[in-house]
Parts: sequence; structure tokens; C-alpha cells
Amino acid sequence: MNKRMSSLKLQTHYSIMVIPGVLWMILFNIVPMTGVVMAFKNYNPGLGLWKSPGVGLENFKYLFSMSDAQRVIINTLIIACSKVVLNIVIPLAFALLLNEVTNMRYKKFVQTAVYLPHFLSWVILASVILNIFSLDGIVNQITGIFGGKPVIWFSMASYFRQLVIGTDVWKEFGFNAVIFLAALTGINPNLYEAATIDGCSKWKSIWYITIPGITGTIVLLGVLGLGNVLNAGFDQIYNLYNPMVYSTGDILDTWVYRIGLVNLQFSLATTAGLFKSAISFIMIVVSYWAAYKLADYKIF
Amino acid sequence: MSTFYKKLGAFIVASAMLTSVFAGCGSSNDSGAAGTGTAVSSSGSTAAADEKTDPFMKFDKPVTIHVGQQAYPTQKFPEGDTNEDNVFTRYLKDNFNIEIVVDWSAATGNDYNQKVNLCIASNTLPDGMQVDRKAFLSAAKSGMLYDFTEIFPKYVSPQVKAIMDSGDGIAYEYAKYNGKQLSMVGVDVAPSGQSMLNIRQDWLDKYNLKAPTTIDEIEAVAKVFKEKKPAGNSTIPIAGPDKKSSVYTNFLQAGVMFAGFEPVFAAYDAYPGYWIKDGSGKAVYGTNTENSKKALERLADWYKQGLIDPEMGVRDSSTELVNSGNVGMYFCAWWSIGYGTTDAYKKTPGANWQAYPVKADDGKWYTRMQCPVASYTIFNKNISEDIAKAAVIINNIWVRDENKLGSQNTSIYWYPLRNSMGALDECETSYKSLIKVLDGEAKAEDFNDPSSPYKLLYNDAKNVTTVVKDYSKEKQLSISNFDVNSPDFARLYSILIGARPTALATPDKLIYSEVYSQTPAMEAKWANLETAEKEMSLKIITGKDSTSTFDEYVKKWNNEGGAEILAEVQKEMDSKK
Repeated sequence: MNKRMSSLKLQTHYSIMVIPGVLWMILFNIVPMTGVVMAFKNYNPGLGLWKSPGVGLENFKYLFSMSDAQRVIINTLIIACSKVVLNIVIPLAFALLLNEVTNMRYKKFVQTAVYLPHFLSWVILASVILNIFSLDGIVNQITGIFGGKPVIWFSMASYFRQLVIGTDVWKEFGFNAVIFLAALTGINPNLYEAATIDGCSKWKSIWYITIPGITGTIVLLGVLGLGNVLNAGFDQIYNLYNPMVYSTGDILDTWVYRIGLVNLQFSLATTAGLFKSAISFIMIVVSYWAAYKLADYKIF
Repeated sequence: MSTFYKKLGAFIVASAMLTSVFAGCGSSNDSGAAGTGTAVSSSGSTAAADEKTDPFMKFDKPVTIHVGQQAYPTQKFPEGDTNEDNVFTRYLKDNFNIEIVVDWSAATGNDYNQKVNLCIASNTLPDGMQVDRKAFLSAAKSGMLYDFTEIFPKYVSPQVKAIMDSGDGIAYEYAKYNGKQLSMVGVDVAPSGQSMLNIRQDWLDKYNLKAPTTIDEIEAVAKVFKEKKPAGNSTIPIAGPDKKSSVYTNFLQAGVMFAGFEPVFAAYDAYPGYWIKDGSGKAVYGTNTENSKKALERLADWYKQGLIDPEMGVRDSSTELVNSGNVGMYFCAWWSIGYGTTDAYKKTPGANWQAYPVKADDGKWYTRMQCPVASYTIFNKNISEDIAKAAVIINNIWVRDENKLGSQNTSIYWYPLRNSMGALDECETSYKSLIKVLDGEAKAEDFNDPSSPYKLLYNDAKNVTTVVKDYSKEKQLSISNFDVNSPDFARLYSILIGARPTALATPDKLIYSEVYSQTPAMEAKWANLETAEKEMSLKIITGKDSTSTFDEYVKKWNNEGGAEILAEVQKEMDSKK
């Protein structure tokens, strides 16, 4: 006990430094949680959160009875899962390739160049992308050279998901690659030297040294990504979609936005939001457990 | 204490719904506002109580109104002015002792509506703000609004009263909720709800074509435009709605869509988006009728033939498309041809846009009519009596002084809590009067009547002779008659060209929606149905789905709450009888 107290005493200044962060978290993450009671009420803003009449699970029942709900959940899962997987695989492959480049100047240049789109907001990027894929945009001009017929890409439900996933990966892979590149520098170069002396091929040294060396980072990014499995990217989709692609592009967040903020269905929107959070919570717990079991990796 | 809880409540609600999208709306310092207000009223009302009510009274002590304001990013202030300190606010302060404090502002459109909805969700209304009908009803239902039933009639000016009365008092009906007047409404001129065919007359003349009136004739002209390409390869015979709009407005929305297809439907005697009576007097939803299906089929055929903008529904802005000078025709209301597309005349000198009615094959003119009340200004129920008086007075001032304030280098949009107020027949009356002035049968001075509901007519009559040149009674007015650079061009072109069809002829059939507000079942289920409807109409027209999916859509619509809503609408219709 005494020992414990004294160690706490030693940490006092650290604890003080943490206080703003903790307060911030309480205020912005814990306190707003009380709002989830809206999901079980027929929320009337005039009566306020607590006096609004309760309706039990009525909102949930209604939510899942809507044919849209199913479609929206499927879209969200497909888009989000693809993003999570591709945002690990592509940057990893890219980082491995870039790591083999010996010309440092060129390497730095490429690294910076692919990193830039990460800093653009979707509001701006969306209009650029819509332009590129418009009827007289670059893409149609290129396919036109090969005799393709011009297509309005963003009006085609069958292409929408691919375009959303593709543009998101394009925007983010540079940023994620930097994380992998940083992890790669942490691998002891002696291992590579030893491998070369033992007559190991490039491919084999990647497989047996590089990959195991950065497993922790891969798992970490994967685990963090799983928590986002129902976050398909509101900013991006809201700025890119239109009613013609609702069937494949409408996700939970855009749907909640339309219900809650456009149509003033506060309770229903909260219900959908709560549902999303619950699933995300389960996913994080599972992935945390899986990361520990499979890769012997603990975040906390 | 209570403010803290309110803010906290606001914050919780906001965060819980959708953390990623917005920031809380906690800036409304309503307890502070009410505090200053009460202080004023305690001394002010005793003095004012015995005096007779003056619709333009100057307050003894400053009255402060906290407002939420729509911001117009493209409408700039003159150097040094801000949204709290500009020609309008100074005018109100100096002459009436009304001070405007902007609690928050958000860009007009989605951003603003979002902010409004948040304020309602968190019960943090500023003293006053402008909202649409949906938000008004939501706030009214929650009991947040100030009751103007007593104050409004006392302080309303005769001019505003005349405008409110212009539609058989229908404006009052919309301003009310459960018999109490909980809002101040903006009355819109009737033609704002009637879509016309706007067409490039200079293109018609180039190919010796007659102005089309029926759907078949429009198609024939569109085919010529497509073939001859008067604007080169990027010629688009008929513009369509852009990604922010839809194929037609519904009963909850005011006005018509820019480049929507309302008149094409009307020519088939179809009124999608409206609750109408079928032959036997039963309620039907206009979209789900056989006639609507026929119109959709026709539009799909046009799209397939390449007569409609291939990028409709995806394009960023149809207005810009029209402004670019590549479009031959589009459908919209009277204001679009002048106010809506002034750039079109600057970019393409000589673009002679003209407006014509669209008629059915039998030569009859069917048109849908909008709800005459287009905007609502709502006030927090906690405001003091003086603020309420000021609210009515601000509106009076606007209607009286718009012509004076409107020409001062600051966009009229920035007038605080501005409701557009126009007598229902303002466009038609203005058209006829202005033509009289041009014909020399009347003089501008004849219209100098300060209490007239046609508040801008005198001003227009003074300007019309300088803006319109070489007028001849025999020839149709065209763009070459107008001084495009005049600040009054947009208004006069809108009235003299855009409102001409309704001024010169009366439609054979006017269709009003049986209800213009949400029924209880709609509150829960409408969002979903609306999504499905928008998706269906766009997909069928652009050929992504065949017209046979229409029947499936109707079935689905009925199953997912449509039938229930229809029953409620029927009930409401029956209760009106």
C-alpha cells in the first residue's frame, strides 16, 4: 500500500499533465453518451431529453422493419471492410517496394508526393473526382481513345462502391505507407546482412525478415481499422453520392444524416447511431482479443 | 445554471445523433437575451401600453434581437460592413432603436437547415430565425414558439395585412399551429409555383421554328437543337435537375425545381409529389398514378434520345449549365429567367430567353400551384413582448422600405429575418401595369401609393422606361430591348418575360396539394419513402431502371407506410369539408 502511494506520488506531475486530456474525453466522449436514451424515447425537443415519453424498443423495431435498413447495413459493411483491408494491403505493398529503392532523393520525393492527398478534405477532392469521372472528363477521354463509350461513372450504381473504395485508398495509402516505412527502419539491418551471406533471395528476406519484423504494426493498424468497420466514410460519400446510387452507396452515416438532420427524426437517427456504435464496440473487443491471441500483441 | 444545462443538453443531443457531422449549437445565449429584453419591457411597455399601436414605432430604449442568420457567401458587403453592422442594421438601429445581434450564422441551404434543426433538437432557439415548414411544425409541436396571435394584428402594417389577406387569408392558416399564430410567414407570389418552358428564342429564329407549346412540339424542337447543335458539340437541348435537386418539388417544398420537369408531368395531367384527389374524390399520391408513369416514360424516352442533359442528377449545378449558354430549353418559374440566370446574358450576349406555358395535347393548360406561404420566421417563446413587437415591425419596415433599402449596394438577402412578402398576384399586376407604362397609357406616378401591397411597382414603373428601349407594341419584347447591365434588369426581365405567360392567360386547371404539411405517420416514415421516390424517378428517366419497376415501387411505397399516410391524408381532407 505504502509503496503504491509513493509511486503515485512520483507520478503526480504526469497525472496533472493528463488531466486536460481526461477532461476532454469525459466532456466530449462520456457525457454525450447520455444522449443514447433518445433511442428509447419519442424525443420531443420541447420536453427535453428526460421528459420525452419512452417507447421501449419501438424505434429499433421500426428501424429494422424498413427495407432501407438492410440495404444500408450491407453497403456499409462492404465499403468499410474493403477499405480496412485495402488500406493495409496496398500501403504495405507500396512501402515494401519503396523500401527497396536505393536512390534516396527519389524515394523521399515519391513518399511526399503520395502523402499529399491525405491533407485534402473530401469536400474539395470530391469535386475534383467528380470532374475527372464526368461525361467529358479525363477518364472518358482515355477510354474514348480505345473506342469506349463515354459513361457517367458516378450515376452508375454498379460502379459506385468500387469508385468510393478506390478513391479512398488512393487518398490514404501514402499516409499509411509512411507508418509502415517507419516500422521498416526499426528492423535490424544485421538480419538482412546475415541473410545475404546465407544466400537468401530478396523475396525470401522480405518474407522471413521484413514481414515478421513489422507484424506488430500490421496488427495494430488492422485492429484500429476494425473499430471503423461501420465507418464507411461520411465525408466522402456524402460529397460523391446522388439518388441514383443510393442502392449501392447509401451508408449508415448518410442515412442517419438524412433521417436526423434533414427529416428531424431525432430518435430514429439516434437508434441507428447507437446500433452502429454497439457493433463497433463489439468489433473492437473482438479484434483486441484476436490480436492478443493471434499475434501476441497488446495495445494496452 | 439553467443555461449550463441547456447547453449541456444541446451538446448531448448533438453528439449522440452523429458525432462526425456537426458541432453543437450552444451559442444561443437565450437566458441573457431574455434578461435584457425583460429589462426593456418593464419600462417600455408601461409607456407604450396606453398609446395606440404604431406599426412603425421607434422604441424608447434599444431592443436587442438575437438572430440566427443565413449567410450568403457570394453576396459580399461593402468594405467595412459585417452581418451585424450594415446598411440594414444601422437603419433599424437609427430609426427604430432595434438592435440585431447575430448569435450564429451558417451558409444558406443545407448548412443553415442543419443548424436550425439542431437548435430545435436541443431547444436552444435564438430569439428569431427563418425556417421552412417542416422545422416550423417541429418547433411548434414541441412548444418552443412565441404566440403572435395577439401582437401581430395590433402591430401589423396595412401593407403587410393586404399581402397576408391576398390569398383569402390562407397565409394566416399556415402561420398557425393548433389555432395559434406561432410564426410570421412570408407570402410568395403565385407564379413561383408554376413552371414554364424557358427557351432560347434566338435558336428558334435561327431555324425558323415556332415556339413549342405541347410536349410533342417541345420534342420536335429539341430534336432540331440536338441535330443542328447551335452551341457546338456541347449543345444540350433540355437541361435537367442537378445533384442537389430532384425531378420535381413535393408538397413540403416551396416553389419548383430549377430545370425540373413539373410541366411535363402536368401536361399528362400528373402532379407528382402532391396529394391530389382521384376521379372519385379519394386521396392519392400524385407520383403513384398512371399519368405520372406515362410522363416518366416520355422523359425516359427523351433521355434515351439524348434530348435531356445526359449528366442530369449528377451535375453540380444546372444553373451554371444554363449560364454557360449551351442549353436550349429548361423548365422553371418566372424568376429563373431573370434573377436566376443573370450570368447567362453576360456570357452569351443576345441569348434571347423567352418563357412559354406548356400545354397538354388537347391544348389545355394544366399547372400545379404551390403553397402560398414559402418561408417562416419563428421566435423563441421566451422573448419579451418588446422583442415580439420589434419582430412584427421589422417585417413591416421591410415591406414598406424594400425599394429604398434594396438599391443600396448590399444584397437584400442580408436584411435580418427577411420574409419575402409579395401579394399573390404581384407578378401579373406588375406585368400589366408596366406594359401600360411602356404603352404610354399610364405614368409611373400613377402607382405612387405607399400603402399598396405591390410594394415595388412604383419603383419598377419609374425604371422600366430606362431599362427597356425601342419598345414597340407589335413586337414581342426580347433581350435586345433590355439594358443588361442595369441593376434592375433581373427584376424587370423576370416580370416582363418570365411572368408574361401567367399574366396573359389563366391556366385551365390549377392543382393544389390537398395537404402541404406532414401527418403523424409521415414524421416517422416520410424520409424513407422520399428517398425511394427520388431514386425511382431519377433511375427511370436516366434509363437505369425500366419503367416496369414503377409498379414495384408503388407496391413498396404502399407497404412501407404509404398506405397508412394516405389514410391520414384522407382523414385530413374529409375534416376540411
